[in-house]
Amino acid sequence: MTFAALRFLMHQPPQPPDPSSSDSDEAGRQAHESVGGQQGLVDGSDSPESSRHAYVTLLFNKYRAAILRHLSRLVPHEDAAELAQETYYRLLRHPEIVPIEGMARALLFQTAANLARDYRRRRASHRSDQHVELTDDELAQEHLGPEAFLAEQQVRAILEQAIAQMPHETRTVFLLHRFRDLSYPQIAQVTRLSSRTVARKMAEALAHLSAALGQTT
Amino acid sequence: MSRLPNAPYPQTASEWFALYRSGRVDAKTDLKWREWLAADPAHELAYEECERAWELSLDVGGSQGVSNALRQLDQQLAKRPGGVLGGKAPRPRVWAWLAAAAGLGAVSVCTFWLIHRTSAEVADYATAVGEQRTVTLSDQSTITLNTDTSLRVTYSQATRRIDLQRGEALFGVAKNAARPFEVHALGGVAEAVGTQYDVRIDGDHADVAVLEGVVAVESSGATRQSVAAGQSVSYARGGAVSAPQALNTTAIRGWEQQRIVISDVPLSEALHEYNRYSKLPIVLGSPELGDRHVNGVFHIGDEDAFLGALEQGLHVKISRTATQIMIEAR
Repeated sequence: MTFAALRFLMHQPPQPPDPSSSDSDEAGRQAHESVGGQQGLVDGSDSPESSRHAYVTLLFNKYRAAILRHLSRLVPHEDAAELAQETYYRLLRHPEIVPIEGMARALLFQTAANLARDYRRRRASHRSDQHVELTDDELAQEHLGPEAFLAEQQVRAILEQAIAQMPHETRTVFLLHRFRDLSYPQIAQVTRLSSRTVARKMAEALAHLSAALGQTT
Repeated sequence: MSRLPNAPYPQTASEWFALYRSGRVDAKTDLKWREWLAADPAHELAYEECERAWELSLDVGGSQGVSNALRQLDQQLAKRPGGVLGGKAPRPRVWAWLAAAAGLGAVSVCTFWLIHRTSAEVADYATAVGEQRTVTLSDQSTITLNTDTSLRVTYSQATRRIDLQRGEALFGVAKNAARPFEVHALGGVAEAVGTQYDVRIDGDHADVAVLEGVVAVESSGATRQSVAAGQSVSYARGGAVSAPQALNTTAIRGWEQQRIVISDVPLSEALHEYNRYSKLPIVLGSPELGDRHVNGVFHIGDEDAFLGALEQGLHVKISRTATQIMIEAR
């Protein structure tokens, strides 16, 4: 997306994206362009609100197909479009959106995944308002149906095994970052590894996990 | 920070993903990432696989293997000896001191050191099961740690940050509007300027209870929820913050005075609460007893009084083994 095109778009009322009409050709074409352009979105002549709105809209449109794929693996397929829409509205209000596209994309995907979790929890509690204690597994089984439930159990087992099989240092770095929210410098501090090594270990952990997942699909 | 000025740009999806997780990527690097992503459709798919693996891995946190590993890590972090000031001393590898510390009993240990680059003050505090302690921080704020709790304090010039890793703590915050006080737990944050509040991690969710002042609670990047004195909220990791509910402060005021307050709750719930303080778990041999309601105030550590009250009040049979205390119907 060129800067001029962006300016043009900002003077149009931004269209709410329609995640249900996924258009892979368009998504493919857009994938070769950047959301903010090299300039980023900082432009004094427009209000921060409108430029932010335009930025989120462009970002969302560009990654719409990827977000739908992402959500379809976390919730039943028919609910993914609705959650994608909600993701977009959440992102519009998100205070931490930045004009670094890779970080904005990470926020987009994380917001979608969080919504998927909330959604499943809501569904689960809706079905168990009888004060009967059900375990997470039972709730998931009821909600997803036996097949999807088994697939999910399998994915969890694979990830758990993959984590167990990581080299010790890699696993420690991964666990501290994923479950204790420690930043790379904080991990470097407690493990006595360099920040650079911490980043490398994280990359190894991610490669390991996605390779393990890749064998299932 | 993670990509040094002369370092080559990442080549693979996982390297790129890990670089972005550092939170420090400049516009030029971001452009290189977009070019890499657009260069080959396989790059986009591989990147999506990383995003998927990252998100799905969060759901494995409760599994036995991972939670055992995390528990071990928490203990190792809490027991970390000092002596690394300035980083000039020989740096024993973390694995070495972890192994050395592993032999120690579960005693509370606190360690101080400085992070030179940010001149932040960092300290870890922990309590064993049944233990409580109060610490006073450099700004005169206080933290009272309840049983089986582990947390880290990071004081920088801009913020006062607490990372609650496990358990429950009561925070008495000294007023300083320029330096917010943040308690991070399960990915959410409860922030105050000057107040008194309690944060507890209970299984998969965190509870924030406010005794004085106002606390802003945020989780999963959603809108902040304002919680006033006499209210509490809860959230799960990655989930939204609940609406504020009226708070019964007696339980919190109670533990602050080494008392477990149980007010008209089912026995199963009372045991869940009591077991936080008990070295041997107290379990129900007869599930139907779990619905009986119980009341009482018990001194932490006086298990005999608690069991005696159950024995008499509910007419149950209590038996002990080496690993647990069993309550059964007579």
